[in-house]
Amino acid sequence: MAELIAINPKLHATLRFQPEQAEFHSRGIQLLPVVPAEFASIATQSPIVLTKNGQTGQFVTVAMLGFAPGENLWFADGSWQGTYLPLQLQRQPFFLGQADDSGQGDYVLCIDPDSPAIAQEQHSTATETATEALFQDDGSDSPYLQQIKGVLAELLQGEQQQQQLVQALLAANLIQPLSLEITFANQQSTRLNGLYTIDQQKLAALDAATLVNLHQAGWLAPIYTIIASAAQLYPLIARKNQQLTGAA
Amino acid sequence: MTTAQAPINSVAIKTVVIVGGGNAGWLTAGRIAAKHKTKQGGVKVILVESPTIAPIGVGEGTWPTMRSTLIALGISETDFIRHCDATFKQGAKFARWVDGSKDDFYYHPLVLPQGFGKADMAAYWQAQHATAGMPSFSPASSFSNALCYQETICEQGLAPKTIRTAEFSAVANYAYHLDSGKFGQFLQQHCTEKLGVTHILDDVIAIHSVADGNHAANGDIAAVETKNHGAISGDLFVDCTGFSSLLLGKHYQVPFKACDDILFIDTALAVQVPYENADSPIASHTISTAQEAGWIWDIGLQHRRGVGYVYASKYCTEEDARATLAQYVGPAIEGLTVRKIPIVSGHRTKFWQNNCVAVGLSAGFLEPLEASALVLVELSAQMISEQLPANRALMDIVAKRFNDTFLYRWDKIIDFLKLHYLLSQRDEPFWRDNRDPATIPQSLLDLLQLWRYRAPGDLDFTSNNEVFPAASYQYVLYGMGFKTDYSHSGYLLDNWDFATQQFAQNQKMINQALSMLPTNRELITKIRDYGLNAL
Repeated sequence: MAELIAINPKLHATLRFQPEQAEFHSRGIQLLPVVPAEFASIATQSPIVLTKNGQTGQFVTVAMLGFAPGENLWFADGSWQGTYLPLQLQRQPFFLGQADDSGQGDYVLCIDPDSPAIAQEQHSTATETATEALFQDDGSDSPYLQQIKGVLAELLQGEQQQQQLVQALLAANLIQPLSLEITFANQQSTRLNGLYTIDQQKLAALDAATLVNLHQAGWLAPIYTIIASAAQLYPLIARKNQQLTGAA
Repeated sequence: MTTAQAPINSVAIKTVVIVGGGNAGWLTAGRIAAKHKTKQGGVKVILVESPTIAPIGVGEGTWPTMRSTLIALGISETDFIRHCDATFKQGAKFARWVDGSKDDFYYHPLVLPQGFGKADMAAYWQAQHATAGMPSFSPASSFSNALCYQETICEQGLAPKTIRTAEFSAVANYAYHLDSGKFGQFLQQHCTEKLGVTHILDDVIAIHSVADGNHAANGDIAAVETKNHGAISGDLFVDCTGFSSLLLGKHYQVPFKACDDILFIDTALAVQVPYENADSPIASHTISTAQEAGWIWDIGLQHRRGVGYVYASKYCTEEDARATLAQYVGPAIEGLTVRKIPIVSGHRTKFWQNNCVAVGLSAGFLEPLEASALVLVELSAQMISEQLPANRALMDIVAKRFNDTFLYRWDKIIDFLKLHYLLSQRDEPFWRDNRDPATIPQSLLDLLQLWRYRAPGDLDFTSNNEVFPAASYQYVLYGMGFKTDYSHSGYLLDNWDFATQQFAQNQKMINQALSMLPTNRELITKIRDYGLNAL
């Protein structure tokens, strides 16, 4: 990952951004982390599945965007093809970093200095593309930065909810491996490993007390949204087939 | 207790009394309690443990069987790793066993050779090895490296799985290294809190037989008398009293069959060596380095290594042995306590007598060359729990089975351990005498005759009670430089296409493993931080 740089009003007063270029960050992302608050929007375009974080081995909820590592079928012609842009893309190229390694420190707003969304100087004046600054003349946050901060706050809260949802699913024993073998239009087959989903049989057999707990914690809607989103697998296969057969 | 009228044969087995804690006692208690629903009111399991006798606690290496044992006990792998200082073990590296030179080593990994069971890959390996004109022990061309990707994983210090792999699942087959003392305490807590085992801390001071004069008297044990808790009666007694073999050896006088005429080692000097740094690499295999009169084990746990020199006192003074150990450990040995442990190689002539069965050191002990101690405990505990007789009449049938099974297993283990010594070219007296045919069991001599013309295969190991698979014999045999003569059996070399694929597949597996596996230390740290998921 690129080195992160903390935002500083003095250093970054002249820095300008091209927000729509943030969509470039989705290129090559097969599995994009998503949070429960956006499940309903995600489910209109992608399957939501669980996978394990490569660094921690802990379950995360992700939108499935392709069938192989490095494949994002929703990114084409330099832009995101969906109507809903997931929070993880909306926030680009900004991150919340932590001031110290202990995991206890305050959050610091950082940018990915290699992001294509950072406007090069010669472009910022010469092109008609709208660019955004981080700060207004009086040094206060620009509307663009306010919006970014809002997205990051939403994500921060969403990631906590996401972890709570995973804990609830594990406690109720509701996660099961998803084994998918798909044959595409060109007869090529692929087997998807490392993905998990809701175990519907166990969900149907839950005792009343557990069910009430899940309901009161607000997890029933996300659980059923994950289940319903599985139907998006077929449009995703169709998207892949279109790509393979060249019929755009 | 039975009434005077009840024929003893119809007495149901309702209470199992285990005498002795330690890993043998707790593993047996746990297996029986888990299987027979002790907590839910099933068979009662009582473990009586002396508060004054400390367990020997030397067994720090396991087999992959320990994974199924932990699963059977309902233990989480994350908890086990966090509480028992446990690490991953992917086999054993035998250094300096062949000729004693500095870069002489071979592996006995836990993954089967590529293509094993489909073709005699040893034949192809040997043919290729000969034509390539490679030096005999070039690592690149060794049997274990050419046909098993696990050797490279071990040499690179990598773990057998990743943080994304589920508990007890593997990328490469694995066992554990563990802190024996911590494991005992961990099992005790699990068995008493989760499995309903009754724990009595007391000394056994007498053994009561079923009363003489009672028509049912048959020599069975009725109860063990304790210092403070009176008589504890039971239907089956498990002797886990360690070397003292209180019930089977002392009470029943079942003879001990020594095998020091085959395996000469009789002493261990053990030391615990702290790591230099908190993040020092952890070897993910047992390292066994041959010495003048025995060999040194080196086992990496999370916070320390366990190192020990096992030697034959006939060939080496204790002073020399201490010097050898000190030289191996280096300056770090200053100020560390070296424990001396006697090793009496051999086993009881039977393990189940009347209503008493011995598990662990009370049944026997062998040098820890292939980590046979804990696996024998696991196999014993499993068989007792799975075949626990419903009543006393059936017990004699089960006892006979148990004795036949475990006599076979001990013999096979002794053969396999001896095999490690037979092919060495080392010329110290200890090693020369080990090659004297008079010290080699006939069963092993016979196998070696057969293997002069073909590799070890499943056809050599046809019992349901085998301990080591033919693959293990292949690893040791060809690791030690054994040559099989294929000149009369060209039919074994008739499918080079398949063989070439297997060598290529092994290389592919090596590349895959290198690209995905973290180091053993990294994975252990992550498991401590995040835990493994159960699925």
